Amino acid sequence: MSKIIIGRYLPGTSFMYKVDPRAKMLVTFYFILMIFLANNWQSYLVITVFGLMTVVATGLKPKVFWDGVKPMIWLIIFTSLLQTFFMAGDKIYWHWWVFAISSEGLINGLYVFIRFTLIIVVSTVMTVTTKPLEIADAMEWIMTPLKLFKVNVGMISLVISIALRFVPTLFDQTMKIMNAQRSRGADFNDGNLVQRAKSVVPMLVPLFIDSLEVALDLSTAMESRGYKGSEGRSRYRVLKWSKADLVPLAYCVILTALMVIVRIH
Amino acid sequence: MVIAIKIILGKFTVGSQLLQVGLGFIGSVMLGYLFGPLWGFAGGAISDLVNSAIFGNMGGFFIGFTLTAAVGPMIYGFFFYKKPVQIWRVIAATIVVAIVCNIGMNTLWLHIMYNMPFMKTLGVRIVKEMIAPWIQMVVTWFVLQALSRVDARLRK
Repeated sequence: MSKIIIGRYLPGTSFMYKVDPRAKMLVTFYFILMIFLANNWQSYLVITVFGLMTVVATGLKPKVFWDGVKPMIWLIIFTSLLQTFFMAGDKIYWHWWVFAISSEGLINGLYVFIRFTLIIVVSTVMTVTTKPLEIADAMEWIMTPLKLFKVNVGMISLVISIALRFVPTLFDQTMKIMNAQRSRGADFNDGNLVQRAKSVVPMLVPLFIDSLEVALDLSTAMESRGYKGSEGRSRYRVLKWSKADLVPLAYCVILTALMVIVRIH
Repeated sequence: MVIAIKIILGKFTVGSQLLQVGLGFIGSVMLGYLFGPLWGFAGGAISDLVNSAIFGNMGGFFIGFTLTAAVGPMIYGFFFYKKPVQIWRVIAATIVVAIVCNIGMNTLWLHIMYNMPFMKTLGVRIVKEMIAPWIQMVVTWFVLQALSRVDARLRK
């Protein structure tokens, strides 16, 4: 039961762990943006090298990244094949009905494969080397400009941190409820459509009531400790920029320069 | 709390080996039903962010999917918030969500992210989206019935 992983953070000491989570998050965004720019083999080569650099910088075993790719592997292969078969090209190696394998198709299939894998691997780097709490702090920081639109960022970040904190708790609770219902005969995995749809209710309603109780208790506790809204409060957990954060900056600048030079316009 | 519920439900699936339907949409329904379109939108977005913080995004981090996650509860909110639970509402909401979010937006994101040919991806996804909504409707119906009972008891 507890085998289900809450949080995919793996502790480590390599360089990646010293980088500020905000920098990591922005670089992840930016990297995906850069992948959109790739359109010839040189640019794919550049982006792949940069992707591999981040992987090496984590100092983690390849298995970690394979675990990230694994759930998606069929989708990746399927998409790559789709690209391969339906891409018309000059050189045709094999032809049957609407399917054809051409040199362009093969190259395109490979491109899609690289794209997919890179996006997943780079996102994995992000989640594996950063604690969920740090990610939440980074998100809060990135959302700060939303204040211009009168969005209550402080409240949103409170919601985020409460949700983060209670996911594991409610998860345990879900398991307990399911087991309790099972012990008196509930069946969550059998029966026809309607029966299965109905079987969600004995799981969901107690869960909902539980979460209501937690919400009421928690808000009472917060108010009794003097919480009056997100305005005018200090911060205990603070993110600090360091020299290590110049590296992601340089990384982005060099990557952008290379991509712009190397791609076909 | 409902956001946390949504994330957890997203980890569960019902159905046979052949066809698996995630339960994350129940969380969307709850967000929309209880908090309305506006907060449903915010809650959906937050749930996607928290989910990616804890579990990491399968298929990479992309802001478009956050948008999809936000629009789903918003649509449910338009149909369910402060309205009586009716069969036609359930059917209409589920279909709109399936078309707008799952067929429309997500296919578009996949197209942008992975350069998949739009129409072909659509073809594959439509097969799933033809089946899944029926299951979702049935589940949504029972969930809403149960929720409105809990809700009514709370208001006493």
